[in-house]
Amino acid sequence: MRWLALFAIAALAVLPWVIGGRYVLHMSIMIAIMVTLALGMNLMLQIGQLSMAHSAFMGIGAYASALLTMKLGMSVLLTLPLSALLSAMTAALLGPVFLRIKGVYFVLLTFAFGQIVNLVFQEWTDLFGGNSGLHGIPKLSAFGHRLTDPAGIYSVALALALASFALVRAILRSDIGAMLRSLEADEPLSRSLGANAMAWRLAVFVLTAAMAGAAGSLYAHVIGFLSPAAFGFGLSVDLVVMNVIGGAASAWGPLLGALLIVPLPELLRGAKEYQLLSYGLVLIVFLLFFRDGLVGMVTALARRRAARASSPDAPTAPARADAEKRAA
Amino acid sequence: MISLVEQIVVNGVMAGLVYTLMALGFTLVFGIMRMVNFAHGELYMVGAFAALTLHGTLGWGYLPSVLVATGVAALFGAVIERLLYRPFVGRELGGMIMSLAVAITLQALAVIAFGPAEQSLARPLTGAVRVHEAVISLDRAMVAACAVVALVAFQLFLRHTRLGLAMQAVAQDREAASLMGVEAGAIYVRSFAIASALAGLAGALMAPIYTVAPTMGELPMLKAFVVVILGGLGSVPGAMIGGLLIGLSESVFATLFDTTLALIASFVIVLSVIVVKPSGLWSRAAR
Repeated sequence: MRWLALFAIAALAVLPWVIGGRYVLHMSIMIAIMVTLALGMNLMLQIGQLSMAHSAFMGIGAYASALLTMKLGMSVLLTLPLSALLSAMTAALLGPVFLRIKGVYFVLLTFAFGQIVNLVFQEWTDLFGGNSGLHGIPKLSAFGHRLTDPAGIYSVALALALASFALVRAILRSDIGAMLRSLEADEPLSRSLGANAMAWRLAVFVLTAAMAGAAGSLYAHVIGFLSPAAFGFGLSVDLVVMNVIGGAASAWGPLLGALLIVPLPELLRGAKEYQLLSYGLVLIVFLLFFRDGLVGMVTALARRRAARASSPDAPTAPARADAEKRAA
Repeated sequence: MISLVEQIVVNGVMAGLVYTLMALGFTLVFGIMRMVNFAHGELYMVGAFAALTLHGTLGWGYLPSVLVATGVAALFGAVIERLLYRPFVGRELGGMIMSLAVAITLQALAVIAFGPAEQSLARPLTGAVRVHEAVISLDRAMVAACAVVALVAFQLFLRHTRLGLAMQAVAQDREAASLMGVEAGAIYVRSFAIASALAGLAGALMAPIYTVAPTMGELPMLKAFVVVILGGLGSVPGAMIGGLLIGLSESVFATLFDTTLALIASFVIVLSVIVVKPSGLWSRAAR
């Protein structure tokens, strides 16, 4: 089952090259960037903190990378890690204050921070270009070689997404993942066993900010144009939605969620009015009936099939009830 | 100079009263259900569109339209609570995401029903009065007067009616309240309806002053958020004092600088308050 999933992802990742075409490749690049961001949000959700600051971290990375290449003439090869570092440093500075606070107050705090960052992007027009946007950002290039071919750009974006996926999956499957989940489930108990809750939370916050910063940098050079609206509250909400629809329990969830949500506006282009409505309704349905998202549905199906296979004549009632409980 | 100060104070208090109206419902829902309702601004929008339809399209009188619009928002709120929010009571994170989904859906429905464009409603009153040195436009003054009436009525309701007392009891301790025969579910749906009515009233009152559009609830929601954090989530007096404070601070910054800076200033104030005293300035004892 697991091999099948990995194989399916590999096939999907290769598909844009096979189909080709500017449009498909552009969409695939956007999906890859969003996968990176949604994976970051997933790690934050694993520690039980709903962050509205990650859209701002992406914005910081994007504007930093754009300005460093435009004003200082630095190479993208350098500005991509630098902008990830800048976002990470911002998170490291804010984290010790922000992460003391949990639940609703954390959401509000990160929300206020995100709004302030966005308002600064809007108002400081000399530097950030304001609402009319920042134009003429250099495209990707390395060693004097410009990367303008969408297929090539896709490979860069895919590398970032796959690296993030591998990293988050490895973290969640390791002892660290167990530690993070224990902090979410029962912090006093976990701390009494010696876990340094604050340090782990800060590590997650900084790492996910770095991922958002790197994704932002890539976004800036792929699109070549930045406006503050792209990094608003809506983006953070989208990232949460991808995790809910895909399933927030594992790294597979945000991957599936981004694959489904990013192309949605394009699929519903004919019925623009119903685009937002279907988005909201799908979210409500998943929240009410499929709490574990798509991944939860798939695993429940697989488990039911396995239960049937182990006793072909009569599926044991408890196993079936168990699978159904998980699916609900 | 004195006239400027007076004008700033008058503007601040009038804006603050509307913020308070929004913030009260938000804080009420949190206090009673532990639920952060991100769709609170959309109930404001529902109230505004109801007023637009009744007063603008059907030609009802303004005040009856406002009253019915308040009722419509309350009905929306009750249905949303019962069908969508109830399963999430006690699950803070899931509840927040559900309220985001509701906000998206209500906005989308408004776009389908009324179109995305901004629409305006004729002002029921025109002209202005001069009080000492400050100039007050009549329609704004009427909004302020209605807000004061609603706030006083709400306070009386909360302190002196059985339902109001039951709501306070559930907010304090749900289990103890249920042992005393207060059924939490009934209280939830009623308080949610009352909170939505307050938001709908604010929307209906503000409809002639600003334009009416599906996204119009976002900014008042933001303000309510800020006010409630300042005053302490779940605290009714906190929402009142916070509303006036934010109204005044915005009035000062907007007059001396511009409105965006005023917004940034409110966020900075709130950030510092959360960092120093996360439970807000007027919170009840720590839980």
